[in-house]
Amino acid sequence: MKVIGFLVNPIAGMGGRVGLKGTDGVVDRAIELGAEPIARAKAEEMLGHFKELVEENAVRWLTCAGTMGEDPLKSSGYDNIEILYEPEPATSGEDTKAAVRAFIEKGAELIVFCGGDGTARDICSVTGSETPILGIPSGVKMYSGVFGVTPVKTAEILRDHVEDRLTMTEVEILDLDEDKYRDGEWSVRLYATARTPFESTLIQHAKVMIEEAAEDVIREEIAEYIVEEVNENPGTLFLLGPGSTVEFVGKEMKIDKTLLGIDAVRGGELVGSDVNESDILRLLNDANECKLIVSPIGAQGFVLGRGNLQLSPEVIRRIGRRNIMVIASPAKLKRTPVLRFDTGDAELDSELAGRGYFSVVIGYRLSRLVEVAK
Amino acid sequence: MRDATGFLREEYEDIVEKGFDWKLRRLEGPSTPVCTVDGKEVIMLCSNNYLSLSNHPKLREAAKKAIDSHGAGSGSVRAIAGNMDLHEEAEDRVARFKGTEASLIYQTGFAANAGLIPQLCGKGDIFISDELNHGSIIDGVRLSKADRAVYAHNDMAECEKVVKEVSEKDYRRILILTDGVFSMDGDVAHMDRIVEIAKQYGAMTYVDDAHGEGVIGPDGRGIGAHFGITGEIDVEMGTFSKAFGVVGGLVAGSEDLKKFAYNKSRTWLLSGSHPPAVAAAQIAAIDVLETEPEHVRRLWENTNYFKKEIQGMGYDTGDSTTPITPVICGESHKAKELSTRLYDEGIFGLPIVFPMVARDKARIRTMMNAGLTREHLDKALGAFESIGKDLKII
Repeated sequence: MKVIGFLVNPIAGMGGRVGLKGTDGVVDRAIELGAEPIARAKAEEMLGHFKELVEENAVRWLTCAGTMGEDPLKSSGYDNIEILYEPEPATSGEDTKAAVRAFIEKGAELIVFCGGDGTARDICSVTGSETPILGIPSGVKMYSGVFGVTPVKTAEILRDHVEDRLTMTEVEILDLDEDKYRDGEWSVRLYATARTPFESTLIQHAKVMIEEAAEDVIREEIAEYIVEEVNENPGTLFLLGPGSTVEFVGKEMKIDKTLLGIDAVRGGELVGSDVNESDILRLLNDANECKLIVSPIGAQGFVLGRGNLQLSPEVIRRIGRRNIMVIASPAKLKRTPVLRFDTGDAELDSELAGRGYFSVVIGYRLSRLVEVAK
Repeated sequence: MRDATGFLREEYEDIVEKGFDWKLRRLEGPSTPVCTVDGKEVIMLCSNNYLSLSNHPKLREAAKKAIDSHGAGSGSVRAIAGNMDLHEEAEDRVARFKGTEASLIYQTGFAANAGLIPQLCGKGDIFISDELNHGSIIDGVRLSKADRAVYAHNDMAECEKVVKEVSEKDYRRILILTDGVFSMDGDVAHMDRIVEIAKQYGAMTYVDDAHGEGVIGPDGRGIGAHFGITGEIDVEMGTFSKAFGVVGGLVAGSEDLKKFAYNKSRTWLLSGSHPPAVAAAQIAAIDVLETEPEHVRRLWENTNYFKKEIQGMGYDTGDSTTPITPVICGESHKAKELSTRLYDEGIFGLPIVFPMVARDKARIRTMMNAGLTREHLDKALGAFESIGKDLKII
């Protein structure tokens, strides 16, 4: 039997209908504007579908009292429930964190939650990259890589997890800075990485025998290729972008790569850590050749313009399209069928889009073309 | 203390637990259209012996005679002292049959791909490969330091985009690699288009026609002849182990290719050459194809009949246009159940399930045989129909 933590952020998604981009800090205002809870319905949709897929006693649910979990579980007909947390009447992120701590203490192997990016951030601040999490989409913003596309899809992922068909991978937790957004500024930040269940990539292993390759194996292959390139081109400056895919490259290079920042490497040595735009321009002055290694943000597909604003239009022009290496595992690309460049300079974006596709490195010296949004 | 060999059992047990272990079936007697498998007489629907040549009197006779005249083994690798007249004759016959300048025979098809492919491209070169290529091509590619790019299965528009993109970079050589007949789905590569694209951008072409040799094209001359582009594919690779009914890999192309290939392929240079009986049977197989066109004709009559009937029942057979007809069942357990019950009825068709194919595309992969009669096919079709309905596949 699987022990799974189940948590609903009852106010998630309420801001959307009334024109607020999120409910972080403005829930009262949302209610005033007539917002109605939607999270419970989404949670019930997932649970209802899951019930059809998996026999009832395959899972023991650890949850919170009332609207934060107990109610939708019970209304969906589940009674193998253990209530570990009693939230305050008006729930907040602090309740989420406390509940998740209680789930983990009781041995939850996975946290399933219903909410948006804000909820994911709260949960991730407790789980870090230990206990995996899986989201039922219900927020206004769902940029993070932990959400199923729909509640039904989430149920299917959960089924596959319960049947041990999935492996775990690290994905980005992103969120819009909501205060800035309400003031009209679009700013998505990469906050952390979390673990989530993932369908592994199928690779052909030998004659008519195909094996599932864990996400880490593919990342190792990509990293091995880049490490070779770094070693073979000791004079070339390599800029390593943010995110977990590129972080893996740093690990293989045995350098101390920052997760959320951009780092510079030459001849296998770290020559700049968490560099900003002017640092990069200075490094470029001293370099004859430069390669930029970046990975798209899962699902949304932004290669530039989200989470890496240091890579300004000037920086990108100096590096040049042909020196940008976009890396992603095939499984990540499956969720991310279209790449986007949003440097803030429309002419540059269209140059980067080229003929409408970009060559992406998906394995050891292996690439495939991926569509770029115009 | 380190357990030196404990992993052997651990890893095997892990494979068994996942259900990915191969359970070997035992063929008792020759590989014939109706044969004995694990003590039970069955109609064979999963052998590669498309033309039933493995048991043809002319091949058997040639093999026996060669033992009398040349002995049981060759004594060496071909590069040193094991290059017999029979080996050279077989290669001349392949070249003539395929309409190419020359040919080279490897110990197996796998040895041809694993030996030749990594020699054709190295550092600074690039392979462009169909995403569903056979494992032996993939292993060949992995032995090289060249870059690789893949295109969606049989998608010629994407293939051209990739070649165009790649041709603008500083690569020395570009090689487009594809299966001829794809072994899981039975569809055929658009080789005419691939050759056109390659010529436009200065790329080489390499086709693994293992399931097309002896099957497609006039008299089974393979994919080049099938598309009317004989001699235009740079490397036509095939095998004697399927329709030809023997064993051995073959590479057909220019004289330059042959000399390059045997001087550089380590699999060829370092493996003992075929026993005389094998080389003689290879020659006899080509004799049969050149003089007895009825085998290929019957294979296609059987294929067309079986495919039409099975589709008529409502089975999905994907994009197959060849004697490989996947009978798609949906979820894995249905394919396994169908296979088990077919076997009970005396029909041998192995299930192909996740992860070899997508979860919802589990199938029985049937392979037609020229030696099956209409009665055999009707018996098999009847079983596919009744069991398929019973399992609610159709």
